[in-house]
Amino acid sequence: MKREIKTTCAVLAFCMAMLPAAPARAMTVEEIVEKANLVSYYAGDTGTADVSMVITDSQGRVRNREFRILRYDVSEGGEQKFYVYFKKPADVAKMVFMVWKHLGADDDRWLYLPALDLVRRIAASDKRSSFVGSHFVYEDVSGRGTEADTHTLVDETDDRYVVHNVPKDSQGVEFASYNVWIDKANFMPMKIEYYNEAGEVIRTVETLEVQDIQGYPTAIKSVAKDLMRGGETVNTFSNIHYDVGLTEDIFQERYLRRAPVQWIR
Amino acid sequence: MDTIRQGWRLGVLGVLAVLSLSATACAGMSWPQWHGFLETDAALKLSDDNTKRDGFNLLEQRLQLKTSYFVEGENYFADHGTILNFKGDATLDEYFGGKSSFDLRELNLSFSPSMSADVKAGRQVLTWGTGDYLFINDMFPKDYVSFFAGRDDEYLKKPSDAIKVSVYPQQINLDLIVMRFEPNTHAAGDRLSFFDSFQGGIAGIESDRDLLEPPLQLSNNEYALRAYRNFGSNEAALYYFRGFDKSPRSYKDELNRQLYYERVDVYGASLRGPFAGGIGNAEMGYTVSREDSSGSNRLIANSMLKGMLGYSRDLGNDWSIGCQYYYEQILDYGNYRDNLLPQDYFWDEYRHVVTQRVTKLFKQQTVTASLFNFYSPSDRDGYLRASLGYNLTDQWNVTVGANLPWGEDEITEFGQMKKNKNVYVRVRYSF
Repeated sequence: MKREIKTTCAVLAFCMAMLPAAPARAMTVEEIVEKANLVSYYAGDTGTADVSMVITDSQGRVRNREFRILRYDVSEGGEQKFYVYFKKPADVAKMVFMVWKHLGADDDRWLYLPALDLVRRIAASDKRSSFVGSHFVYEDVSGRGTEADTHTLVDETDDRYVVHNVPKDSQGVEFASYNVWIDKANFMPMKIEYYNEAGEVIRTVETLEVQDIQGYPTAIKSVAKDLMRGGETVNTFSNIHYDVGLTEDIFQERYLRRAPVQWIR
Repeated sequence: MDTIRQGWRLGVLGVLAVLSLSATACAGMSWPQWHGFLETDAALKLSDDNTKRDGFNLLEQRLQLKTSYFVEGENYFADHGTILNFKGDATLDEYFGGKSSFDLRELNLSFSPSMSADVKAGRQVLTWGTGDYLFINDMFPKDYVSFFAGRDDEYLKKPSDAIKVSVYPQQINLDLIVMRFEPNTHAAGDRLSFFDSFQGGIAGIESDRDLLEPPLQLSNNEYALRAYRNFGSNEAALYYFRGFDKSPRSYKDELNRQLYYERVDVYGASLRGPFAGGIGNAEMGYTVSREDSSGSNRLIANSMLKGMLGYSRDLGNDWSIGCQYYYEQILDYGNYRDNLLPQDYFWDEYRHVVTQRVTKLFKQQTVTASLFNFYSPSDRDGYLRASLGYNLTDQWNVTVGANLPWGEDEITEFGQMKKNKNVYVRVRYSF
């Protein structure tokens, strides 16, 4: 059923794209943010990609992470499930990290350690901590709920919306506010600047390269920079596929212990 | 019996070799990638005892190699997502005069005969249950010598020769494991000293106990069953185990200093899920001593009741903490005490243990500092494990740490290990 709706939507979108451009009704900031969220984190019902992370610390030392990520949307714009299978470095190869993302509640997270055949449950109260030692935080990877902030449209250029966001709950976040530059053409967030109380930029996340994949604009290269301590992480996505027929049952303990061969190769 | 064991092992290897070769012949496999590490471990002993060496209890070089083959082509194994896993450790042990050995940790075939079933056959490491360094329903073999001597956590778990069948009908998941008996590795006096009742105290190389393993025969196979499912974010499991105590707690022949592994059944349950901003877990187990169900035989360990509660959470900023409470009770304790002889050493009826874990990551998660503490108010003993690990690069890791067991008495779980205090360093190159 969901698939049919999706198809219908795709057909509608296609037809609308064919129509001569009409002066669009001004979008509300909520609509912009919501759409950007869908574009960033909900392309297709499912998705798979290989991710290569290059982590450079403030002294220029470089570390690499390679993993495969599987995503399943339980509902569009809502709950999602992620399966992250590590390939490199060697000491974490075959390790699996699984997340059931909830809106308005703590996510469920599991870590599978193959050497011990151990399925560990991880407390997920801290979404702003570093993801696998990179300069990306968990929320960069799985998305920050749009309801977590109040949004104001502060600027609009020919090709960008600039949205200012203030967290409703400042507990547990390292920033006071952040600005997002959203591409008007495809609603891809192109740049995010995080500010401290003094209004200084402390961290940035930038989309370096966008590609159309199966009709979905997709960030295939992005960088997160820590401007306070120095250091940055570049993420490169490859082998990206959407609507691949992944089923929800992959996101279970069964497949933590036994990696789903057809999806992780 | 060693011959039989060797035969059994060769048999397993043979079967796997044939399977893998035939699969290769049928179809060819994807070119394997080899990973592993080279490591040097050294542990300085901080207390005197009568083990084989003074001054240290670990000095070894280790090469671990591991690989996985994904079977490809047009054949049964390729059609069923088969993976052949191998992991082996070659060690050069200076503690035992440069003895070299090879430890096969994994050699198994993993495949899915149907959409709702998985099989893993061969040598494999098995783990389940909810405890952190505490085990109730995890009756799989462990190596406590590695644990206390300062090797990596990986070596706490010993592999099992087993066939694991997992089935996933609609409402519940089932794991059924059949395995060959493999005992826990405990201090034996050569590398680590321990309380030897035949020696009447903490013993080293003078210990001459004889540990009798059940003969290798079909009726001595062990069975472990787990049924589990999620209720929302909560994970519930029921466990059953039929086999042997993994630690030699019963006497076969006191005159000849023979101990053995008595038969046990274990019935258990566990629950794990989000709780108060963290993760809470509860687990219990009821161990039935099948050869001494009334508890009146002083030579055979009694039935027991065990339970634990745990809680862990993130404090933000890469701090995390955990704590556990563990409880154990010897059942039919009156019968046990009534039948003891005056000179017998004996166990207390109750044992309580609390544990605390604190972990903090520094420097973009490349430095891991960890403290784990066991404390038993009933045994008046404890064990502090501290470690500091630094990933200098993706390849190089240096870990230093300390193992500090202590106790007022010599007979208790951690107290008997008190002369094995050490500090260690491990340097590892991963590839």
